[in-house]
Amino acid sequence: MNSARYLKYRRQLIPLIFILLSANSAFSQTVNPLAADPRAARAGGGIFRAQCASCHGADAKGIETIDAPDLTMIWTRAESTDQVVFQMIRNGIPGSIMPPHSFPDPEIWMLVSYLHSVAVTGTSKQIVGNPTRGSELFQSSCLLCHRVDGSGGSLGPDLSAITARRAQAALTDSIRNPSVNIARRYKPVSLLTDDNERVRGAIKSEDAFSIQVMDSNQVLRGFSKSALRELSRDEPSLMPSFSESQLSETDINDILSYLQSVR
Amino acid sequence: MKQILIRVLPIIAGLVSWPTFIQAQDADGPTFEDILRGFEDPSRWLTYSGDYSGRRHSPLTQITTDNVDQLRPAWTFQTGTTTRGRGFETTPLLDDGVLYVTGSNNYAWAIDARTGRSFWQYRRNLPGDLTYGASAPVNRGFGMLGNQLFMVTLDAHLMSFDRRTGEVIWERELADYQVGYSSTMAPLVLDNKVIVGISGGEYQTRGFIDAFDPVSGERIWRFNTIPGPGEAGSETWPADPAILAAGGGGTWMNGSYDADLNLIYWGIGNPNPDYYDENRPGDNLYTDSIVALDANTGDIRWHYQFTPHDVHDWDSNHMPVLANIEWQGEPRRVVMVGNRNGFFYVLDRVTGEFLLGKPFTATSWAREIGADGRPIVVNDGSLGCVPDPWGSTNFYPPTFFPGLDLFILTARETCATYVPEEPANTRGQANFGGTVFIDSEQGYGALRALDVHSGELEWEFTYPSPSFGGVMSTASGLVFAGDHEGNFMAFSAETGENLWHYQTGSRIWGAAATTYMLDGVQYVLIPSGTTLMAFAL
Repeated sequence: MNSARYLKYRRQLIPLIFILLSANSAFSQTVNPLAADPRAARAGGGIFRAQCASCHGADAKGIETIDAPDLTMIWTRAESTDQVVFQMIRNGIPGSIMPPHSFPDPEIWMLVSYLHSVAVTGTSKQIVGNPTRGSELFQSSCLLCHRVDGSGGSLGPDLSAITARRAQAALTDSIRNPSVNIARRYKPVSLLTDDNERVRGAIKSEDAFSIQVMDSNQVLRGFSKSALRELSRDEPSLMPSFSESQLSETDINDILSYLQSVR
Repeated sequence: MKQILIRVLPIIAGLVSWPTFIQAQDADGPTFEDILRGFEDPSRWLTYSGDYSGRRHSPLTQITTDNVDQLRPAWTFQTGTTTRGRGFETTPLLDDGVLYVTGSNNYAWAIDARTGRSFWQYRRNLPGDLTYGASAPVNRGFGMLGNQLFMVTLDAHLMSFDRRTGEVIWERELADYQVGYSSTMAPLVLDNKVIVGISGGEYQTRGFIDAFDPVSGERIWRFNTIPGPGEAGSETWPADPAILAAGGGGTWMNGSYDADLNLIYWGIGNPNPDYYDENRPGDNLYTDSIVALDANTGDIRWHYQFTPHDVHDWDSNHMPVLANIEWQGEPRRVVMVGNRNGFFYVLDRVTGEFLLGKPFTATSWAREIGADGRPIVVNDGSLGCVPDPWGSTNFYPPTFFPGLDLFILTARETCATYVPEEPANTRGQANFGGTVFIDSEQGYGALRALDVHSGELEWEFTYPSPSFGGVMSTASGLVFAGDHEGNFMAFSAETGENLWHYQTGSRIWGAAATTYMLDGVQYVLIPSGTTLMAFAL
């Protein structure tokens, strides 16, 4: 979708939008009037690249170093409705670097449509499995490091809404091969301190002189690099890989169906 | 006797302080000759780089490689204004113990250089429909002459202030901000001229450099960075006046000045649109070039284009660094540039003759400059990633260390893929002309010291992420730099060894340190986040 075509779409869409807006302006504030029009997401993409990409990245995945969040995940938050996202774009986020925007309403709705189009694809179908058994397996195999509904460990990511964010096949793959893709803030590191303590943990932050980790006992610890004898980051994930003999396909599906049930 | 002393002391104190008081109140402020003297008076910092050379190399020696580890915060000034997506990029000016500081969103202050306390604050009422200025609400500093300060604005104006009160003396519109123009640079003040540049090269703009009369505020000359139809350089563009009129070529970083040659040296920004080039075949002069202009007339004397026909947004808005060095056995007046395209350049600043071009990052775009002075492009992006649009370095100042003959800069190693797309070319909207995908896993930064005779790397200190901090050096053998993780650091200029660091709590972005002596104490300043911090032993 190029911007010239976006303009063409805009010319086509504006009469339609005008009719919608004049028919019921209150309706327009809570529901995306363009939700059913596939052209809106394409037009929104043009606006996004021109107006938003410098902070949120061309792929809308955010730029961590300037605290611009990953917008492909925005719909996984329970509070994210079309109306809320519309207002976020319109008003900005007070106290943050996200400014208010004076785009016409239809253009903001196009951005909302675009953000829907790039949203991470979760598991939309019902996962076939036994959630009760899955809950038991989760307690024994996962809870030490992962949280669900506010309880559990913190070494790995919170899995409360994970099935809304990731496809079933991708989740299964992460359980089988956790070292292939390790998210930022969970990258493993191994340290040897001056007094010969071996520390394994996940890197939370780092600069040229220091490193901040959560160690394998889930304790937050900071180290001065000059006081370390070794710092090794070419490590496998802190999460063990679960082979077929440790967790069968049925076991995994039971766990995922449990996670889906607690969304 | 004791009583007499008690009575007399205040009188003596008054007599001692009286002339100082009068001098501070009646001072006429710095002249052009004062600025020409640069670092001669260590209690002053009168222009962006400290002097006209762009070297940002102070002669101060109180803080040394031996004692820099004892450097401690002296005071912190909270600006109270945030910078969306960018940094606090200013260089404060100093005279008579007062710092004159510009901030983001066109705030400005006069600050007591000994304590960090404010004398006055200015805030411009900016329009709500800023264009480029909304995306980069930054400012890089004042220019100063006599009792006047000069500041450019996000809505593309040049303003003059009374430095004693912060009151506006005059203001002039540089261009229509609603088209996409803005201004963020620190004015370059010469003898009876205030020279300014313009931002907004992603919009339907045509860049320029303007000279204004500091007293009347009248414009003296304008140099257009994109030639008009039929003018020299227009043959490097399509013969379409509409394309020339929106060719970009911003001038958003200030330049350096050689008083003997009466030439100013200025970097020019990217062609518009940034990534989409089908409508602009040719080299697109004077984008991504350095130009040498006659300071009196604005006439161009020579130019050198670093990145002909740029499609990566590699503006050449860098501080041109002037030095007189021995070049292959002969004394030579050179200008040096560490460029966003990944090359370090040495040019003869009298003639513009190309002397050296050598990569200082692992860029795969080009690895050498041909005999004709043009880069030999080996990867236009189709053979793997090339440096991102922020480039292998950027506008933040480098430093030149004389004697060691080192050019020291912050380098960025990045990996980006560009997908061009025809833009809409809408007035008031950015026209990047495509999308860039940056592989952040592969990025890192480094402070690098290059031998100016060979361009070879002498030493480096790496940072975990690509950094945007500027660099300053002092004659005591120190280099001060900042990084993206918020560290303000001191290094040995000779070896690159890190000698001191302080975590400021916010990334140091677009700013470089300054230093001065007051009451026998050497201060070092750095802007970071929303604060200006001062350090001393």
